[in-house]
Amino acid sequence: MEELLSRRDFLKRGGGVLLSMYALGLASCGGRASEGEDGAEWEPSRSVVMIVPFDPGGGSDILGRAMAAGLEEVRPGLNINVENRSGGSGAVGYSYLLEQRGDPHFLLASETAGVALPITTETPFHWTDYTPVAQIAEDATLLVVRQDAPYQSLPEVIEAAGAERVLVGVAGATGLDTIVTSLMEEDQGVEFERVVFESGGEIVAALLGGDIDIAMLNPGEVIGQLEAGDMRALVVFADERYEGEQLADIPTAQEEGVDVTFTQYRGLFAAGDISPEERSYWEEAILEWAETQSYDEYIERNYLISEIRAGQEFEEYLREYETTLEGVLGESGG
Amino acid sequence: MELWSQIIDGFQAALTPTNLAYCFIGVLLGTVIGLLPGLGSATGVAILLPLTLMLDPLTALIMLAGIYYGTQYGATISSVLVSTPGDSATVVTTIDGYQLARQGRAGPALAIAAIASFLAGTISILLLMTLAPVFAGFALNFGPPETVALVTLGLAGVIGFTGTSRAKGLAMGALGLAIATVGIDAQTGIARFTFGQVELLGGIGFLAVIIGLFAVAEVMSQVSRGGGEPIRTRFRDMLLSREDWRRSRMPIVRGGIVGFFLGVLPGAGATLASFLSYDIERRLSKRPERFGKGAMEGVAAPEAANNAAVNGAFVPTLTLGIPGSGTTAVLLGAFLLFGLQPGPLLLEQQPELVWGLIASFYIGNLILLLLNLPLAPAFASILRLRYTLLYPFILLLAFIGAYAIENRLWGVWMAFAFGVIGYFMKRYGYPAAPVILGLILGGLFEQSLEQTSSMGGGSFAIFLERPIALALFALAGLIILGPFVARGVKALAGKATARVQQ
Repeated sequence: MEELLSRRDFLKRGGGVLLSMYALGLASCGGRASEGEDGAEWEPSRSVVMIVPFDPGGGSDILGRAMAAGLEEVRPGLNINVENRSGGSGAVGYSYLLEQRGDPHFLLASETAGVALPITTETPFHWTDYTPVAQIAEDATLLVVRQDAPYQSLPEVIEAAGAERVLVGVAGATGLDTIVTSLMEEDQGVEFERVVFESGGEIVAALLGGDIDIAMLNPGEVIGQLEAGDMRALVVFADERYEGEQLADIPTAQEEGVDVTFTQYRGLFAAGDISPEERSYWEEAILEWAETQSYDEYIERNYLISEIRAGQEFEEYLREYETTLEGVLGESGG
Repeated sequence: MELWSQIIDGFQAALTPTNLAYCFIGVLLGTVIGLLPGLGSATGVAILLPLTLMLDPLTALIMLAGIYYGTQYGATISSVLVSTPGDSATVVTTIDGYQLARQGRAGPALAIAAIASFLAGTISILLLMTLAPVFAGFALNFGPPETVALVTLGLAGVIGFTGTSRAKGLAMGALGLAIATVGIDAQTGIARFTFGQVELLGGIGFLAVIIGLFAVAEVMSQVSRGGGEPIRTRFRDMLLSREDWRRSRMPIVRGGIVGFFLGVLPGAGATLASFLSYDIERRLSKRPERFGKGAMEGVAAPEAANNAAVNGAFVPTLTLGIPGSGTTAVLLGAFLLFGLQPGPLLLEQQPELVWGLIASFYIGNLILLLLNLPLAPAFASILRLRYTLLYPFILLLAFIGAYAIENRLWGVWMAFAFGVIGYFMKRYGYPAAPVILGLILGGLFEQSLEQTSSMGGGSFAIFLERPIALALFALAGLIILGPFVARGVKALAGKATARVQQ
C-alpha cells in the first residue's frame, strides 16, 4: 500500500522527537553521513533539526513533519528531529534559527510569518538573514458562508459590505486571512468589520453560531462542514481553481470580478550564511522529494496547491511578497 | 433503541484484547506525562502520535485519548504530594490536597481524587453518549459575548481564593491579569511589555509560573523554616474514611456537571471548571473556613470537574470537528492522518469508530481507578522520605518540567524567578491561586472582549441581545455583591427583632 511508506517514516520521526525531548538538548551522537549524489561536496555530518515555529497540530507542524520525513526518504541515512519552538506568532522559532547562523544542520518550516513578522513587530530578524531553500506549496483561502446565508456569490457580499456592517472572521491579526481581506477591501473600495480569532476551528464555530457573517478559511479547516452542507464556499483566492473534485466547483475571486489572487507560501528555510554547497544539498534533496508519491499525498491531504520555486526564483518571490505585505500590514498593523 | 445498540457496538469494538491493551498503555503513559509538570497532554499526544500510525485508527485513537484523560489523573498526584501541579487544571487541587498531605492524609486525598475523577467521568460519558448533539448546539450559541460573561464569572470567583485577606487576593488576581498582557497581542499583532526580548514575544507561559509559584516557592519556604520532621502517618489515616466519602459525594456530582458544561465550550475548559467548582463548594459548605486548610471536598470537586471537562471537550470535537481544547486539536490532526475527516458527518460515516472511542473512555477511566486506588498509599509514602532527599527531587522534577515546556532554558529561568516571587508571596500571606486564575483567564477575557467589540461595532448594547451572557453577568454580580446584601439583610432583620423585643 502506498501509505505504508509514509507511515513508516512518521514512525521514524516519532523516535527522533522522543530522543530530542528526553536527551534534553544533549548533542546527539549519531554521526552517520548520508550517501552523496555526485561525489558529494557537502553532506550533513550529524542529526539535523527541523524547527517548527508553531504548536503541534497546525499547518506549520504538518509541513515540518512532512518535509522532514520527505528529506529522510530521498536521502537514506539522514536523521532529522522536528522541534516545535512556538510562541510570539512564530517569532520564537525564527529567532532560534537566527542563532544557528552558519550551521547547515538547522532547517525551518516557513510560511507567511517569516516575512510578515518583521513588518508588524520589532524583531531581531528579517527573512534575508536566512537561506530560503525552496517553496514547495501554496495555501489558499476560501470565503465561506453559512448554508442559510443570504449571499449566493462574492459580488453580493461586496454589495452588502458597501451598504451595512459585514462581520468577517479571520485567524490572526497578521495572517493570510487578514491580508486577503485587506486586499479585497482595497480592490473593491469597501470595508469589512474584522473579528480576529486564534484558529480556524474557532472561526468555524463562530460562523455556525451566527456570530460572524462570512469567514476566511483554509479548505482543510472547513471541508467537513462543506461536505455536510452546513456551509458554502463562495470563492477561492488563488490564480486557478482547485483540481480535486471536492473543491473544483468553487470559482476563483477573479472569475467573480475581484482581483485578489494572494496565496501563502509554504517552504523550507535553512540557517543564514551557509556555503553554496550546503545550500544546494538541501535544495536538491527537497526538489527530489517534490517528485515523490509522499509529496503528492501531503499536498492532497492538506488541500494545498503544488507550487515549487527554488533559489533565485524563490528569493525574488519573497521580495515581491514582502512588498505586498508592507502595503497591507504597514498601514493597518500599526 | 438505536442509541442503545450503538453503545453496545461501541463497547464491543473497544473491548477487543488489542484495544484494551492500548487503552491501558495510553492511560499509563498519560499518568506519567501528567506527573511531570511542563509536559502537558497536548505535547504528550503530539509526541506519541507518530508511534501510533501503524495501528488501526480506532486502536490508535483509543490510546491517544487515554493519554489525554490519563494526564488528569497523573497531574493530581504531584499536586497533592509535593505541591507541584502537573497541569493548570490541577492548580486548585494543590490548595487543599497539599494541606491534607501535610496532615498525613495524602492517601485519602489521592483516593478521593481518583474516585471523583472516575465518577465524574461516568456522569460526563453518559451525557456525551446521550446528549452530545444537543450540547454541540449549545456550544455554538456560546459566542464571544458569552465568553466575556463566563470569564467575568470566573474572575468573580477569585474572591473564593483570597484566603485571609480579600485585598491581597484581589491584588494577586490583578497581577495574573497583568502578566497575561505580556507578549504579542493576537488581536492587533502588537508586542507589549517585551522590552526588546524575543523570548517575551510569546508571553509568559502559565506553566512556568505554576512551577515557580507552587513547587519552587514551596521548597524555598520549607527550607527557610528549617525543614521539619518527615510526615509520619498511621496506616488508618492512609485509608478513605466514611466521613470523607460522605463529604465528597455531592461535590463530585456538582463538579462533574460543571466540568462537563465548561468542557463543551471552546476556550474555557478544564482549568476554569476546576476553579469554579471549588468556589461553588466553598460557598455551599456549612464550614467554608475549612477550605484551604485541608478540606476533602476541596480535592473532590475540582478533580471531578477537570476530568469531566475532558469528556466535554470531545462533544464539539466529535460532532462538529471543532476542537474543544488544545489536546483535542492535536487529536483532530490524528484523525486526518488516518484519513478520517472530522466534521458533522463523522458520526454518520464512522459510527463504530466514534462509539468505540467513547466506550473506551469509560473503560480507560475504570482502568485508571483500579490503577490509582491501590497506588495511592504507595505514592503517599514518598512523603516519608527525609526532606534532604525529597526537596532536591522536587526541584529536579520542577526544573526538568520547566525546561520541557518549550525545550529551552528560558522556562527554567522563568520558573526560578517566579519561585523567588512566590517565596515572598508565601512569607507575606499573598495567595498564589488567584495569580494563575488571572493569568489563564486574562488572555481569553481580552480576546473575547475585543471580538465582542468588533461584533457590536464598539457598543456594549450587543450584550443586551444575548440572554446567556446577561444571565452569566447576573450570576457574577450575585457572587460579588451577594455577601454584602446578605449581611445588610441580616443586619436589618437583627435591628427589627431587637425593636420588637423592646
